[in-house]
Amino acid sequence: MIKYIIRRVIGAVPVLFGLSIILFAFIHLLPGDPAATILGQHARPELVAQMRARLGLDLPLWQQYFNYLADLSRGDLGNSFINNRPVLTDFVVRFPGTVELTIAAMIFAVGLGIPLGRLAARRPQSLTDGAVTVVSLVGISIPIFVLGLTLQYLLAVQLKILPATGRLDGHIDIPAVTHFMLVDTLLAGNPGAFVDALRHLVLPAIALGSIPLAIITRITRASVLDVANEDYVRTARAKGLTERRVDGRHIMRNAWLPVTTVIGLQVGGLLAGAVITETVFAWNGVGKWVVESIEAHDYFVIQSSILMFAFIFLIVNLIVDIGYAFLNPRIRYS
Amino acid sequence: MSYKRIGALLAATMIVVSACGGSTATPAPTAAPTAAPTSSATGAPTAAPSATPAAGTPKDGGTLVAAIPGDISSTDTAFIQDSNSSAVSNQVIEGLVGTKPGTTGEIIPVLSTDWTISADGLTYTFNLRAGVKFHDGTDFNADAVCYNYDRWKNFTGALASGDYSYYYAAVFGGYGKDSNMVSCTAASASQVVIVLNHPYSSFLLSQTITSFGINSPAALKALDADNPDPTKSGYNTGSKGAMVGTGPFMFSEYVPNDHVTVVKFPGYWNKDGVAHLDKVTFKPYADQTATLNALQAGDIDFAFNLNPTDLGTIKADANLTAVDRGQSCNLFHLAMNQTHKPFDNAKIREAVGYAINKQALIDTFYGGQANVAVTWMPKEGLYAKDESLPTYDVAKAKALIAESGVPASELKFDFWYPSNVARPYMPDPKGIFQAISSDLEAVGFTPTAQTKPWRDGYLKEEATGKYPMWLIGWTCDWAGPDNFLDTAFFNYQGGKPSPEFAYKNDTLQATMKAAEAATTDAEAKTLWEKAQDLIRADMPTVPIVNSTPPAAGAAYVKGFVGSGNLTEILNTVWLDK
Repeated sequence: MIKYIIRRVIGAVPVLFGLSIILFAFIHLLPGDPAATILGQHARPELVAQMRARLGLDLPLWQQYFNYLADLSRGDLGNSFINNRPVLTDFVVRFPGTVELTIAAMIFAVGLGIPLGRLAARRPQSLTDGAVTVVSLVGISIPIFVLGLTLQYLLAVQLKILPATGRLDGHIDIPAVTHFMLVDTLLAGNPGAFVDALRHLVLPAIALGSIPLAIITRITRASVLDVANEDYVRTARAKGLTERRVDGRHIMRNAWLPVTTVIGLQVGGLLAGAVITETVFAWNGVGKWVVESIEAHDYFVIQSSILMFAFIFLIVNLIVDIGYAFLNPRIRYS
Repeated sequence: MSYKRIGALLAATMIVVSACGGSTATPAPTAAPTAAPTSSATGAPTAAPSATPAAGTPKDGGTLVAAIPGDISSTDTAFIQDSNSSAVSNQVIEGLVGTKPGTTGEIIPVLSTDWTISADGLTYTFNLRAGVKFHDGTDFNADAVCYNYDRWKNFTGALASGDYSYYYAAVFGGYGKDSNMVSCTAASASQVVIVLNHPYSSFLLSQTITSFGINSPAALKALDADNPDPTKSGYNTGSKGAMVGTGPFMFSEYVPNDHVTVVKFPGYWNKDGVAHLDKVTFKPYADQTATLNALQAGDIDFAFNLNPTDLGTIKADANLTAVDRGQSCNLFHLAMNQTHKPFDNAKIREAVGYAINKQALIDTFYGGQANVAVTWMPKEGLYAKDESLPTYDVAKAKALIAESGVPASELKFDFWYPSNVARPYMPDPKGIFQAISSDLEAVGFTPTAQTKPWRDGYLKEEATGKYPMWLIGWTCDWAGPDNFLDTAFFNYQGGKPSPEFAYKNDTLQATMKAAEAATTDAEAKTLWEKAQDLIRADMPTVPIVNSTPPAAGAAYVKGFVGSGNLTEILNTVWLDK
């Protein structure tokens, strides 16, 4: 198992390397010039040229790429073109926000999706199954920003039962220690602030988790139905096992595998969805940062953020693969 | 985040230079870029950042959570170029002079009490306010002022570049020997003499922007503000101890892209201007819909920037109050390039002026927060002259087209508008484009719609003269007429007309340069008015509107004094709850 993990981690290096080349090429193919963007309207050509030189954009592309790689190998993600700060400095502040939101969205999607899927599978073609299917289709069909703005309008603006934006009420003072708001509020010994941070998580987590919720629900339903028709399930029932035992030991245990795979894959979707969700909910995370950086052609921020997203995606999927072995003892990695 | 020059930091309606009565609350707004050698502007000690608060007895205490459109870029005012950062620094850092709250450019003394200007317009002598302390407890005096001015002048390397100290170079023309500032001398602890190389009629006006705020020398040194790599300067990056000035609020905390906090400075020198609020937290909100939702949901108390089309929603909500910023500091105009037919013909350009229903644009797209432009700068601007611009008259437009002799077949052209952008002067480019296109078609023109993303090609292509007709505008960062007429619009580059408009008028160029070097108010006024007359005669573009970007707050937020140049100090704000 250890060898397998090491092999997978090493295997991620060429993947990330290849991705960095593709990313670099795509970003530099974007129309527009960061130097002109920074200098704004009426930037004189000589100032633009000076700025390009200062940013290293006057060098050949291959040289820019290798400079970037060399810096990256030293842990230097470059400086933002916009605020001139090291990308790593802002990343450390923003990344916890995205992690917190992604985990909350995943808890929402898994916590609701699996029970809903099981419920639908228990009585296929029933009214319950139909209702769950409709909910799933709605979840998949509504764009995140539409759902987000609608939730904001209904629950925050009209009913005022949840906050609309941000990670914590601006009137509450909490020292930023880890930048995980739930952790920082606890460290500050302020349970009221912790509850406020939790309340701020609800709407963005629902908006972001809506698509994974729909997918997990559908996969769970299909997987449970599939397994439920297997001979060994019928045998188990024939042996007189309780329905609860059949469900827990024979159906779900085997139905977990495809569901787990899908959950792993959905992490990628969540990270992509965070880009929109964070913008709609003024959530201080990496996703909002990516949007702002693309608008401003802030190359280093875009490259580093997306590479980091890719790295997380690879790690999560590695964890999912390892999880298979625990879920199904027949699977052994060597 | 949109990264833009401060824009709207300056606007001059009046410059106070000539003598003012010492007992009045504010200096008399005698307009003059420079003054007679013996004259002085004496501001009353309480004049500066206090303003008339709203009715009611202000209550002290509380925290205001305010939305700004994006994150700040720096906590070193010398490097600030964007309106997000200046929204914060305006609370903390003060300069020798400032703009009177509620106006776009009426100059008032702040850390100076009065000043004199030599007859040749080269020597500015400022008397300084006594008993002022920086937030770190050190004394404000002439040495502190010159420490700041000398620091800016002597910037080198990355610090002496457009991406850091842009405004020093823009005002003084360069650094070191290239700077228009010859020297800053502490004549005494309470008097500073600044000598220029050549007269600059907008000098005082330029010193009102946040980039020329006086920071504590001790704090600058403590956080290594002059590190050749500004990313390693805690003073620039918002470390504890950064942004130390003399304003009514003290910098407290900066968490990148999350919030900036300033707290009340009880020892503020202007006892009438001590802040009511205990604390202000600025939070970046890039999305205007999210901003409105946050305001309505009570997540924030105040929003510095909202979409004008949301004004109806705000006014209909009893829990919110819209802020009228009054005077404008921008211009939106319909641009034409004279190398493209049919805009080489003056009658055609004039006809375009008569074809546009400007009031309808204001009613539809600006929520009423704009006025029809009367010249090529805001109508309240210094030396602005009502040029009797064409009013909406379809018959007149058609008659001019007929007089021009241009056949109908040559009235076709590409008409460009930008995508992926909304500017204070242009809140809905596509909608505005469609309305103007419709007006143009009604008089016989045949515009063909063309678009490009604002940052990804539009700005570059319009500046290089590719577009026959397009939408463009300017938000003042330089409030004088020079900032609009010369810097932003009709300047020559390398002795030739800028390719943007391809507008050639050598007399206009000479007039503008003479106006910028004028040493008397009368002379400057005459020359700038002549410049506007010259432009009017040629009608190179069609001024459309001057707008005021809307702001709004919860109904319990009282005492906010809005300014069209966005130089807004929150010491008068209080919470009625």
